[in-house]
Amino acid sequence: MNDLLKKDWFGLGIVIIFGSILISIFKPAFISPFNLYVLMLSVSLMLVVAMSQMIIIAIGQMNLSVGAIGGLVAISFTGLMEVYDLSIFLSMCIGLGIGVICGFINGYITVKTGISAFIITLATLYIFKGMNLGITEAQPFYDIPDAVKYFGNAKIFGPIPFLVIIPVIITFFMWILMNRTTLGRYMLAYGNNVQSSELMGISSTKIVVYAHIISGLLAAIGGMLVVCRLQLGTPNIGDSWLLPSFAAPVIGGAILAGGKVDVIATAFGVILVAIISQTLVIFKIDPFFVQIFLGFMILIAVFINRYREYREERRNKVFSNE
Amino acid sequence: MKTKIPDFVKTNQFGLLLLVIVFVLLFTFTTDGFSSRFNIYALSRVVAIDIMIGLAMMVVILTGGLNLSLGALGVSAAMFGGWCMESMGIPISISIVLILLFGSLLGWINGFVTVKTGVHSFIVTLATMSIYFGFMTLLTEAEAFRKLPETFTDFGSMKLFNKYVSPLLLLSIFTCFILFYLFKFTDIGRKLIAAGANPDAAELSGISVNRMFIYCHMLSGFLAAVAGIMLTARIGAAIPSMAGHLGFDWLLPAFLAPVIGGTLLSGGKVTVFGTMLGAVLVTLINNGLYLIDVGEFWVRFFLGLILLFAVLLDRAREYFTSKNSIVS
Repeated sequence: MNDLLKKDWFGLGIVIIFGSILISIFKPAFISPFNLYVLMLSVSLMLVVAMSQMIIIAIGQMNLSVGAIGGLVAISFTGLMEVYDLSIFLSMCIGLGIGVICGFINGYITVKTGISAFIITLATLYIFKGMNLGITEAQPFYDIPDAVKYFGNAKIFGPIPFLVIIPVIITFFMWILMNRTTLGRYMLAYGNNVQSSELMGISSTKIVVYAHIISGLLAAIGGMLVVCRLQLGTPNIGDSWLLPSFAAPVIGGAILAGGKVDVIATAFGVILVAIISQTLVIFKIDPFFVQIFLGFMILIAVFINRYREYREERRNKVFSNE
Repeated sequence: MKTKIPDFVKTNQFGLLLLVIVFVLLFTFTTDGFSSRFNIYALSRVVAIDIMIGLAMMVVILTGGLNLSLGALGVSAAMFGGWCMESMGIPISISIVLILLFGSLLGWINGFVTVKTGVHSFIVTLATMSIYFGFMTLLTEAEAFRKLPETFTDFGSMKLFNKYVSPLLLLSIFTCFILFYLFKFTDIGRKLIAAGANPDAAELSGISVNRMFIYCHMLSGFLAAVAGIMLTARIGAAIPSMAGHLGFDWLLPAFLAPVIGGTLLSGGKVTVFGTMLGAVLVTLINNGLYLIDVGEFWVRFFLGLILLFAVLLDRAREYFTSKNSIVS
């Protein structure tokens, strides 16, 4: 039980459960099948985006271009199907390939030049977004194959959307990666302390490039999921991903200096953000409040994390005195 | 056999100045209308604001942090100004003082939270960005203030020096000189740099690093508010979307100018005139891209490439100067 209390996701889980019960008492509409369906859809899309950012936070960097990669892949995916009549599978593979290439560019330049990932990804954000606008001239692609549309709309049973399968699988694999593989542990070690991880013989190039490639791949998947959901490929897919992509990992207790992330807590962070946004909609609160709320939630999470660190430090001090 | 090269030739600013001159010549001879009076005047109005935005970011980069909320903050301050002047009917001079105080206050919030939580200012300003912008949209109901006092909007469309230059540019250059003086010759300026360069050492030598960091954020808010006022004067109205969604349109010039100008992202080094030249270069390239007609949708792409090349070039320069200094 004590071990459970120390986990980042435990507190979040309790907040989510009690919050949901409380909300559904006041507004029974909250647990209506339709609302649950909408909730799960927004959770599944944001889950992929949050994971894409989380893996970069794990190595102590940040990736501003997540949304730009998602947007570029989304319009490439739909454009290939509409303009070049490629099959869905082939378009999907090319889309994933673009995500991998974009991630590789980010990672390779960052690690080879030693320039902060923030600046590199800010530059690539404009490059990818510029390519997106240059190709589409800000016009959406409407002609989506029926199979893709069906995938975005179908339900497995009850209110559970088909779309939720992919994010769940991704979350599972991310958990395995971060907790059960050498690569994941190396990434955390690198994020914790670059020098000592290099002294241990971990290749910085490999770690950073792999992390960015995975991030690009996940952003690509996120972009294509949004296409399935919206049933069209608009150039502005991904524009609003930046804030939520950081919100979920930070609320999940990730330390931005790197070396500490929690996949389950990040997933819970996504759910919490989705529930709150949804609740604000149900209570008919101005949508701009959702944004303000998200901002405040990040600040509160940051303060709580700081407080917990402080408590830990004090506890450690007591032990070292004994 | 070695010829003596003057020191200023080796500096980043000199290279930038050369680049600016090269681009000016290039655009003058390859495009129509670059050197026209109208275009130069338009450029001077744009570059004035880009310089101010660049400086606002520079003073936070000094601390080794960054200020994502810059655009949201500037627009919020401008909208506050619009409310003061149009709805409340407060005289212009008092309004401007209030706007600057308001900008500094928002900057103080950024700094205070950053210092108190010890979290990187990136995440703090990411949060405050959406808070400021959200409140601004909510309170203004996304409506613009279009009936500003005429003396205020006239300032934005005034033409000086044979109608070539906007007074906004003079204001920006004046601000550059003040900041240069602040960082070079005043006690507080030196303390700010020391705190950014090595916080631990600064703390040990009796400088309150936290207070210095808060000052930097306040200065950033102040300068962003100035940029907001200037933009309002230029457009002739205070519009919530004038810096794009969440103020994101300001971010590229904000980072490009100081980074091209040679400000270190790790903090502790500022180059006021480098930032100014960086902003000039960015505006020039932006303007040139439109004039040589790459298509408005590709402009972003090229700006991103230029930022990438700028940081790579800077890294190469650093590498070669360090190699040369070892040899000699």
